[in-house]
Parts: sequence; structure tokens; C-alpha cells
Amino acid sequence: MRLEVGSFKVKDIVFGDKTAYSGGILTVDKEDALRVVREDPHITDADLVVVRPGDKVRLCPVKESVEFRCKVSGGQGAYPGVTSPLGQAGMGRTHVLSDVSLLAVGKHWGGFQDGLIDMAGPYQHYTIWGDMVNLVLVADTDELFEQREQQKKNHAIRWAAMRLAEHVAECVRGLEPEQTDVYDLPPLPDRDEKTKALPGVVYVLQPQTQMEALGYNTLVYGWDGNRMLPTFMHPNEILDGCLVSGSFMPSSSKISTYEFTTNPMIKRLYSEHGKTINFLGVILSTLNPKMEEKVRCVQMAGQIAVNLGAKAAVVVEEGYGNPDVDYTAMLVELERLGIKTVGLSDEATGRDGASQPLVSMNPATDALVTTGNVSQFYELPAMEVIGELEALARDGNSGGWEGCINPDGSCVMENNGMFCANHISGYSKRTCADF
Amino acid sequence: MKAIHYINQFFGQVGGEDAADCKPIFHEGLVGCSNILNSMMPHVDITNTFVVGDNYITNHTDEALAEIFDWLDKKEFDIFFAGPAFMAGRYGVGCGLLCKAVSERYGVPAITSMNEENPGVEEYRRSCFIFKGGRKATFMKEDLEPMARFAEKIATGQQLLPANEEGYFPRGIRAEIPAPDGRMAADRVIDMLLKKIANEPFQTELVIPKTDRIPPAPAVKDLSKCKIALVSSSGVVPFDNPDRIQSASAQKWGKYSIVGKNSLPAGEYKTIHAGFDPEAMCKVPDRGIPVDAMRAYEKEGKFAKLHDYFYTTVGTGTTQNYAAKFGREIAADLKQANVDAVVLTAT
Repeated sequence: MRLEVGSFKVKDIVFGDKTAYSGGILTVDKEDALRVVREDPHITDADLVVVRPGDKVRLCPVKESVEFRCKVSGGQGAYPGVTSPLGQAGMGRTHVLSDVSLLAVGKHWGGFQDGLIDMAGPYQHYTIWGDMVNLVLVADTDELFEQREQQKKNHAIRWAAMRLAEHVAECVRGLEPEQTDVYDLPPLPDRDEKTKALPGVVYVLQPQTQMEALGYNTLVYGWDGNRMLPTFMHPNEILDGCLVSGSFMPSSSKISTYEFTTNPMIKRLYSEHGKTINFLGVILSTLNPKMEEKVRCVQMAGQIAVNLGAKAAVVVEEGYGNPDVDYTAMLVELERLGIKTVGLSDEATGRDGASQPLVSMNPATDALVTTGNVSQFYELPAMEVIGELEALARDGNSGGWEGCINPDGSCVMENNGMFCANHISGYSKRTCADF
Repeated sequence: MKAIHYINQFFGQVGGEDAADCKPIFHEGLVGCSNILNSMMPHVDITNTFVVGDNYITNHTDEALAEIFDWLDKKEFDIFFAGPAFMAGRYGVGCGLLCKAVSERYGVPAITSMNEENPGVEEYRRSCFIFKGGRKATFMKEDLEPMARFAEKIATGQQLLPANEEGYFPRGIRAEIPAPDGRMAADRVIDMLLKKIANEPFQTELVIPKTDRIPPAPAVKDLSKCKIALVSSSGVVPFDNPDRIQSASAQKWGKYSIVGKNSLPAGEYKTIHAGFDPEAMCKVPDRGIPVDAMRAYEKEGKFAKLHDYFYTTVGTGTTQNYAAKFGREIAADLKQANVDAVVLTAT
């Protein structure tokens, strides 16, 4: 499978008469863009703002981040099966506006799964978005059924973000990209002998799929991940929009849609392919609430890995707590099958740092990378807010609580509520250490 | 900042083993190695040294702490020092228990130093900063230096680094730090994987503690010929708790006769366990240690004899090290009494 990703590097985003890209500047026709947002009648209010690194602004509640992407050829759209008809992702050509993202923020209501981003101050670099220019969609909806629910599907705003990102990226459809990255990974038997002689490596991704009710989990070509079993996928499918982030799980442990399509782990595996490893592909697994489901899933993923001839695996868990059981079990099963593993997750060591970092631990998991501590205590200075800071305290945000906001606008929170901050996708520049 | 320093009878120039029973001696100024430590810290001023004998601090801990607290209550200090204790076991335990008690009572950082083989390390590393020290007193200066450096960092408000960088034994606390060199997780994962594939050494970022797996004993062949004992972590003890077993984080176990008893009546026995609501078990202590049921089976001839003693401790908060120690000690006692099998009740 061969995918060409043509990028247009964006240095700044401005509003103007016509949505266009030129010389590193992305101009957005605001009214035209908002028309696309309002195609869904459930959107009752919408606005767009631009935030830049160093701006003293706080975004809350952040619900999603997506990359501006446009499917030029060889597929059906940026998110097949979700915002466009089903079609094979991972082939042909996709154009992207790089170094920027679209952030979707609730104007009023947040929830357990939503997060916070600071564009300046001590926590600016805790998320990748603090270091890039972002177009921010601030919207409200009439989804009254979940307005006071802690768990929100956030359907209208998340889908509006995908539509909008695709709409904006249309402006580079016909342009010649400044840079084209080619992701070409042939079927396993068709690889050259030198590559086939290298140790085979699989990327075992455990996206968040634990919610029994539909509409909250990671989508795979539009299919709810809770209703699937482990399967073998081509990494290009993930880089080309087959996965859409869910709306469940404490925010800092989530992987945003932006991170699925720009996945740094897949990119690094590609860069090693043919040199140090034979990158076999992705085993898309699941996270499950019930023990039998966990065991079945681990067993099936292990079988796939063995029969692909994997000698090593990277296992990545989107979440913490209960799914630590799936994570540790996957690592232990692969090691038992003779496959060398490295795991990637965050930890939950408690406010005092003294709790067991993972719910399930096993000495067979001897190579773990850790990206943050969900219970780390943060003290945030006051800043101008885009959205509604009260959502952190009022709406059951996983990192906030009643009374966590001070009258002067400063606040305290746990890492849990910082938007995708532990960057399970692989972007995290934090770790944990013993004190 | 001000500090106070505890040392033992030997380093406090009272004497050797013959002086190990010496009660606390509170000095107006500094004695022995306190002078060296004090000279290493421009921003910390050690005002006093006190000296306690190793036997006294470990065997008469309650009395020693009462005398020490009485004196410390009148002092102003921001940091507490103890040792270094090197490989000296009782001294290490003394340093550890004093550091724990003083930091809990006064809310000040407590700093000591021991060799990794000192039993005080495993027991107290979670309660204070125990720096990694040499085996014997020839390392005095080397061991004082990291203690002094760390106290200076505290006194001057510098950022405290992870345990392995500062040089103390990890306290069981984990917290976020920036990744070394700002390297992102995807690169750290693949770097580690390539090393693991190549059988090269690598450093995990989360060390999973090794667990001892003890193979279970073979199944009992003929129960009717067995002598069976009751062992429990339920905290059921004679009503006055004669051995003063702790209600949490137990450091002791007890062995109590049940000769002639057909049950453990309320009022004669109770549970001292602090890890659950004790009401139901205090009402019927056999719920924790089922002497009543075992006597009934004994009469039926289901097994030969119930051992004359039960063994008990408290499970909640008890460290793995103490639990393993209790296990070894109780097993040795059972073996000597020719016990064939055990019913182990937990809560």
C-alpha cells in the first residue's frame, strides 16, 4: 500500500475574504467556514478564533483536535465511513496543512472526557497544541439529552470539526505540495530479502473502546470499536483517517484524531523499516471492561502477531485504570509467545505519588515507557478563557472538581483534565521518575 | 535554615558496645561528625547534636521518643539529620525510626545515610531521605557530602531531582518530570525496542518490582492423619492484645494457646485490624480465626488434631518484607511442632 502525503507548512492562520493557502499563510473565510459548521442543525452557536503559541489564553472544554486534510486521489475523503462514504484509506494522495490544527471547544458544556489547553505559561508545552497555531471552533449545541451528563458523545461539535477541517483543506487540493512524504509498505511476501531478514515488528494499538453504549468509542472506518475484535491493519490506514478519536476516558490519556493521522510512532517505525526492522504493520486491538473479553482479545492479537512472524512489538494503551489489565496482559502474552515488547502508557500514582502506578503489573513487562502521571497536581495562573472555564469544575471533568477555580481565574487541576496531554500517540516529552 | 543532628553513642564519643544502652544526651552545641557536616553547608546551621545508644533507641523506642520529643519541642529547626549509619544495623534502624518520627511530628525533611545492606533502608526508605552510603565509617566524609548537598538545595529553594539523581533510595513516590533531552515517547519506545531486540542493556522507565513466587506445597494425602494449625492476618488477638501487635503496618505476630477452647468468645478475643469495620468480627472472633468450625471437624475426625496455638498478625499496610519475615518465622515454628497443614485466613 502506497500513500503520498503532500504537506503545506502553515506559519500563521488569518481571516479573510477567501479561504486560501499562500506562502505559509492560511487565510480562512470565516462566514463560509461557519456555514459548513452549521450544516448540522444541532449546532446552535459557532465562532472561530485563532490562537498562537505564547498567547495568554486557556482553551476549555476542548473536545477534539483534527488535522486539515483533503483526500486528493485514491480514496473517499478524509474520514471514510464517518464524514464521507466508506472507502479504502491509506492509498493515493492526501494533502494536509501541517504544523497547525483545528481545535473544537465547547462554548458552554464540558464533561469527563473533555480537556484544557494553555497557549502560554507554565503548561504551554504540556500539549503539542501549545506549540502550534490553532484554528479554534467554539460552538454550542442543542444536544440537551447529554447537556448535564458527565459522559458526552459530543457528536455535533466533533463532526463539525471534521467537516470544517476537510472544507478548509480543500484550498490546497489543486496545489503542488512543498513536501511529499511517501509511505510505501508492500505486502509481507513482496518485501526484499534484506528487509525480510530483519526482525519483524508490529505496532499493537489498544484504542479506547470500553464504553458499552455506542457513540463514545474510537471509530474504525465509522465502526464503533466496542463491537470489534483485534484485526491486522496497514499503518497507512491509520495515517489516512481510518481512526476517529472517541469521546470517553479522562482527557489526558486520550489520543486525538489529529494524533492518529500524524502518529509519530508509525512515522518512526517507517523510518526504521528496511534499516533495523521489518515493520510488519498494525494490530488494531481493543480495550474491554470484562475479563473474558480482555483474555479473548489478548489471545487473538497474540495469534496474529505470531503468524505474521513478529519478533518484537510496541504495545500502546489509550487509557488507564481498568484497561491497564488489557495492557499488561497483552505485553505478558506477547512475551510468553517469544515476542519482545516495549509498552507505552501513562501512570496513576495518586496525588501523593505513592500509589501503584498501574492497576495490573507483571515483572515480564521489563521495558516500559511512561508519558505522564494522570494524578499529577497542576496550579494554573489566570488567563483569558476561550470556552468556559467553569466546565472544568462543574461538569465532571476528570481533572477538575467543584471549587478548583479561584475567584481570580487561576485554578488547580489534575493532569487527567489536560487535553490529550500524556500524548499516548508518542508525542509526550514527559516521563515519570522515582522520588 | 537550622538543623538538628542525631548520632549514636559511638560517633557521639560516649563509648562502644558497652555504652549502647545510653539514654539520650542533649548537647548545647555540636559533637563529633556534626562538625564536619555543619562545615559543608553555608546555608544550613546545625545548632545541636543529640546522642542516643543503639540499644536504647531500638529496645526502648517509646521512652526514647518521649524524651527526645520533650527536648525537640523547645527547639526551632527546619531540617533533621541522622547518621550516617553505614552498615550498622541497630544504628540504621535508629536513624530511620527517628527520621520518620521527627518528620511526622514536626513536618520537616529528615535526611540520613546508610549502606544498601543496612536493614534500616528497606524499613524506612519510604519515610525519609536515606542516601546511599558506604559500608563503614571510613566513608564518613563521602556519605556526609550528599546529605549536605541535598540540605543546601532545600535551604536555597532549588528544584529537587529524582531519587537516583540526588542519590537517595526511592521513597515509593513517583512524579512527572520532563523527559531527558526532551526526547519524545515514540523515539524512547523505538530506541528501547531496538536495544531489546539486539540484546543490549536498556533502562525501563517504570520498574516493575519482582515478586517472589513460592511454589505451593504438595496437596495433603490423608487429611484424617493431619495436624492442622490456624494462621491468620485477621488481627484476632486475646482481648488485651498482650503483644501489642500494631493495628496497621504490623511489625509483629503473636502465637496464642487454644488448648481446651471450642471457640474464641467475644470479650475474650477481638480483632485489632484497622483495615475493615471490626464490629462483626469482634462480635464473633471465630469469623477471623475459625476455632469453632475446626473443633467441629476435629471431633468428626475429618483431620487428626488442631494445633494447640493459633498465629496471628494484621495484614493491612504491612510491608512485604515484614510479611515474608513473619511467614518464615511462623513456618519454622509450625515445622518444629510437626504441623502438617495450615488453614490461612485473610481479610
